[in-house]
Amino acid sequence: MEIATVFDFAHDTVIFVVGVTAVLASLGVILCSSPIYCALYLISHMICLALLFLLYNAEFLAVVQIIVYAGAVMILFLFIIALLGGKKEAPENSFHRAAAFAFVFVMLGELYLLATVGPTQQVRGEIPAELFGTAKAIGIELFSKHLVVFELASVLLLVAAVGVMCLAKFSFTLIKKRAR
Amino acid sequence: MATETLNQIWKFTVLFLSENVPLIVGSVKAVVIAVAIMATVPMLVWLERRLMGRFQVRLGPNRVGPLGLAQPLADTVKLLFKESIIQSSADKFLFHLAPAIVVFTAIVGFAVIPFGAPFEAFGQSIEMWGANVNSGILFVFAISGMGIYGMVLAGLASNNKYSLMGGLRASAQMISYELTLGLSALSIIVLTGSLNLTDMVKAQETVPFILIQPLAFFLFYIAGVAETNRAPFDLPEAEQELVAGFHTEYTGMKFAMFFMGEYINMVTMSALVTLLFLGGWNAYGVPVWPIVAFALKVGFLLCVFIWLRSTFPRIRYDRLMTFGWKVLLPLCFLNLLITSALKVI
Repeated sequence: MEIATVFDFAHDTVIFVVGVTAVLASLGVILCSSPIYCALYLISHMICLALLFLLYNAEFLAVVQIIVYAGAVMILFLFIIALLGGKKEAPENSFHRAAAFAFVFVMLGELYLLATVGPTQQVRGEIPAELFGTAKAIGIELFSKHLVVFELASVLLLVAAVGVMCLAKFSFTLIKKRAR
Repeated sequence: MATETLNQIWKFTVLFLSENVPLIVGSVKAVVIAVAIMATVPMLVWLERRLMGRFQVRLGPNRVGPLGLAQPLADTVKLLFKESIIQSSADKFLFHLAPAIVVFTAIVGFAVIPFGAPFEAFGQSIEMWGANVNSGILFVFAISGMGIYGMVLAGLASNNKYSLMGGLRASAQMISYELTLGLSALSIIVLTGSLNLTDMVKAQETVPFILIQPLAFFLFYIAGVAETNRAPFDLPEAEQELVAGFHTEYTGMKFAMFFMGEYINMVTMSALVTLLFLGGWNAYGVPVWPIVAFALKVGFLLCVFIWLRSTFPRIRYDRLMTFGWKVLLPLCFLNLLITSALKVI
């Protein structure tokens, strides 16, 4: 009797379990009524995504995903929830209808994507195998081929940051005038 | 029939074990590291109480056992048997989850810390680390960033204004000082050109980085003290104003778990400082084993943690934030700029 190699099976199972957990967690974000639990579901979803990156050998991306999204962004979410008070929201009447519509549109979108993208393919590139997924590979790619795009994106982020400051300041003075 | 099935299972097990040697070695190492790191916590509490006693010109615990060494054992038994009280207005699930997150992230963070050079035993190269992650230092930062959630959730779940304030302070403080921590480590990353902690130790074989980067060392250590919520940066649990902050409502073992997390984080931070700045397990001519050299350095840094606690008063909260953002962060940027400029030239 031939015994199948266990390791691949285990790998696939882990990927499946993590993926399903990610989907369930994202469902929890939408369906949960308490903002604290919503934020927690979002965190667990992001951790699952990081685990998926890790399982596909993209080590650096996984760690960055945890540092930036699960660590920095979500702690600010929780911070704001703590400041505003995490009260449960009363469910609205039109919720079920909205959910149904959203579901149908998402399914249609998925179908369209599936039709255009076609079957999944392996990633092809010139990155050597031993560098795959490390910070070095990503750095070489980013700062050689995509340097202009990268710098443009950083400028865009800077513009967004300045814009947010302007908008916040502007509305602040308006409220002050109204109060007088 | 039954024997045949048993035979099959036996063959399967043997094959599985022989195919997955790295898995088994990894599991054994994980258990050893987790147990060792948790066992250091009571000893560290004892060390802290004894040293604090000496610093404040008193004796410290010296009644239970020789030199008071059985005191941590007695304390552990007491904490285990204490009644766990949860007030009815608390969010039960989050209340239980918070201390678990703190301890879990603290132990996982230690998993990538290398504490000795690899050596040969039983025909195999045994490596003295839980996992040699390629971006090891980033992994430690990511996991320590996740540890904040434990404190924030404890503050949110307790339904107590002091706890909430403590949780808020913890998150604000740790976000602010994480920047300094990461940026001062970045100058070391620039010098070595690697995110791997073992590569960093190898780069310090002749000279430790504390001599090349003294400013980065001080910035990293200060940010590390703030990151582990130790005095003089223990604003989240300031006893006098916040009644112990985020763990006001916790009792028994759950209360002790917050302390376990804090002490394990202290060990991890000392180990990180040793690896980045003090040359890791390089002994620089002193005839000791690499692992002993590493342990001695970490032990010394832990004593410095306690020393700081017993000699500095707590900083006011707004001063803490000003200090982090207006003093430490610009210094970090300056240091990083100069380091990278020198590296390129």
